[in-house]
Amino acid sequence: MANDDSSGANYQESPGTGFLSRGFFATNHKTIGLSYLWLALFSVFLGMAMSLLMRIHLAWPGAHLPFLSSLGSSPDRFAALTTLHGSLMVFLVLTAAPQAGFGNYFLPLQIGAREMAFPTLNLFAFWATAASLLGLTTTFLIPPHPAITLWIVSVAIFCVGSLLNALNFSVTTIDLRAQGMTLPRLPLTVWAWFINAILGGLIFSILLAACVCLLSDRLLSTHFFPMLDSIANQPPGVIADAVPILWQRLFWFFAQAEVYVAMLPCFGLITHLVSTFSRKPVWKERLVVLALCAVGLFGFCVWGQHMFSSGMNPFSPLVFSLLASSLGLPAIILLISWFGTLWNARVQLNTAMLFTLGFISLFLSGGLSGIFLARHDLAAAAVSDDFVTGHFHLVMGVAATFAILGALFFWFPKMFGRRLNEPLGKIHFWLTFAGVYCVFMPMHWLGLIAHSPFLSGSSLASLTAAGSAMHSFITVAILLTVSAQGLFLVNFLWSLFRGETILECNPWRATTLEWSVPSPPPADDFGSADPVVYRGAYEFGVPDVAEDFVPQHVTPEQVVKVKGSPARKGKFVK
Amino acid sequence: MPGTTAFPDEEIIIEDIGGGGGGPPTPPGGGDDGDGGGDDRNRRRKWTPSPKRYSTAITIGLVSILMFFMALASAFIVLRYSSDLWVAVHLPRILWANTCVLLASSFTLESARQRLFLADAAGFRKFWLVTTALGLLFVTGQLIAWRQLVAQGVYIASNQASSFFYIFTGAHAVHLLGGVGALLFVSFGKFQKTKISLPAAAEITSYYWHFMDGLWIFLLALLYLGK
Repeated sequence: MANDDSSGANYQESPGTGFLSRGFFATNHKTIGLSYLWLALFSVFLGMAMSLLMRIHLAWPGAHLPFLSSLGSSPDRFAALTTLHGSLMVFLVLTAAPQAGFGNYFLPLQIGAREMAFPTLNLFAFWATAASLLGLTTTFLIPPHPAITLWIVSVAIFCVGSLLNALNFSVTTIDLRAQGMTLPRLPLTVWAWFINAILGGLIFSILLAACVCLLSDRLLSTHFFPMLDSIANQPPGVIADAVPILWQRLFWFFAQAEVYVAMLPCFGLITHLVSTFSRKPVWKERLVVLALCAVGLFGFCVWGQHMFSSGMNPFSPLVFSLLASSLGLPAIILLISWFGTLWNARVQLNTAMLFTLGFISLFLSGGLSGIFLARHDLAAAAVSDDFVTGHFHLVMGVAATFAILGALFFWFPKMFGRRLNEPLGKIHFWLTFAGVYCVFMPMHWLGLIAHSPFLSGSSLASLTAAGSAMHSFITVAILLTVSAQGLFLVNFLWSLFRGETILECNPWRATTLEWSVPSPPPADDFGSADPVVYRGAYEFGVPDVAEDFVPQHVTPEQVVKVKGSPARKGKFVK
Repeated sequence: MPGTTAFPDEEIIIEDIGGGGGGPPTPPGGGDDGDGGGDDRNRRRKWTPSPKRYSTAITIGLVSILMFFMALASAFIVLRYSSDLWVAVHLPRILWANTCVLLASSFTLESARQRLFLADAAGFRKFWLVTTALGLLFVTGQLIAWRQLVAQGVYIASNQASSFFYIFTGAHAVHLLGGVGALLFVSFGKFQKTKISLPAAAEITSYYWHFMDGLWIFLLALLYLGK
């Protein structure tokens, strides 16, 4: 059986020798996790190239583009570009990388399992995701009518893959934990993946149902979403009011929760990194778990927030507005916990931590503009505008990407046995950090200017001129930001083959189980002995212990105690 | 020859049944769950994932399937009460017979599990096969219902009500065929590989089957009351 041969061959190989050589049918969770990350890397660069094209077109509509010269004259092409940029980034990058990519690789390692609960199902889910990427990319190359059908089919296939993933993640977390790995001892990354899997298992079903109805409309001439056919290939915004309410309901039911599907694993990753690099336990860890649960729960309930402008029962905007605002509560708890952990800590400012702090900054500034959008009267005025684009990209797109990059810098030594280059990483961070603020902050201003009701004619004209200058500024900023990503690509590829080799298991002196195994981990993860867990995941700065951390797998007898020296004690215990 | 083997309660073990999620189970030998493969078998045998994972998976998978049908049902309700073009579909009579067949299959399934519990292998297999046959009979009945509607000139694209009728029955039939696949798998699966015991596989299949049964009652009530 091909399946057996390839997975068998895979175990003989040392992991980390490249993607293509591993074979396409290996069911090993690490191979699958890495494959997801490769997919995401490809998609993120493709998606960035598309955003670049869009911005160039917006700033200089007459510009002649090498192979897309028809872009200016064809609204279809521009709409397709927007759709494709969005779907690649949201599905293949933000949904796939933090959850399926890092999750598949590290969830079993962190809970002490040697494999996901259903490896064959996992492989199937991966290939479904890969097929949907292929389908989504192909849509750009074929005529609009079949392209839309193909897009819907690809999204439906992606839903199936995500549902299987969600199932696998939840069952693995529930049933495959190592001895001693009780729920309170779970790392917060695992909590986030787990809650996210449950949320994903619910909402992707809804998108799948919507896709089935939509496909039936297109292929079997049914009328679930009347009028959708005629407007589907129009540019967005032109006749947005005519989009059927039912489609909006189903779509936003999924899409609003999808935001949290992308963000939840990032919250977990960030909390984990903040604690590890501050060398302090997570402040109010239980409360953080509750907050993550609350994000999942509220995120599932706020779909109506997107429909303030589309005519609902007059009371429902109020309800949804309250719910959307109440999402602020868990977000504030998370923020307070991050700051509480950072408070008075000896922060190790390496690149992973820089990206973590960058995430917190973006989340904070993006979240502040979210407060405006959660107010239904304001949101109704600003909907489908630059303000929303700026808010959404800052808080979801870029912040989540920062979390992914932070996690990559953190786990790269474990995955490949080499370190990413720190100085290059730091330059990349600062350029990106400055770049994204220069891109998305002016978008907020553009959105506010456009909706200012107190403007007379002359000041409006001057503002319009300022607006067009701002568009050019944004485009230049995005050009610079995208080119800064070249640094990352160089760093990534160079470090993969030539980076500083890591000989120890635990270069970051972290506590969770994946750091107890060699880097990269062997094929069966934990070798001959099954891991046993003795304590919580964030035992940093424990009193009377020689080191400033105690890993989860070390038995109480093995913990090296300090010899009663007060000076030394004072150094490590806060 | 199936039907002649006696089944001790715990010894007979079958492969991964695919972990729920609504899809048909993995065919025998089709997927090896990753821990097969020559040299690694001995080494990896030491770690066996908890067998509870199958029942957890079916529970979570059923919740996902429920969400899928709830999305369709809410679309049905929204369109039913907002559309001016709603034309009621006259439900074919055979649906009631089909419902009885499906309900009966749940009872035979439980009888089969009862026999399994009493270590009556032949009785188990008999009732199990009857359940499978009833399941297939139900799907055939649904097809007849479709043909009757087509004969009356009611097609999937005729109006919104008929679209919902075909989508509901079609989606339910696809899921039910997944259940029939699981039933067949429990009857004829290879039992040499050590993954899951027969009683556990039968139990998980029964959860799925009863759920499909309840789901059909719900959909029928929706279609009947919503017409």
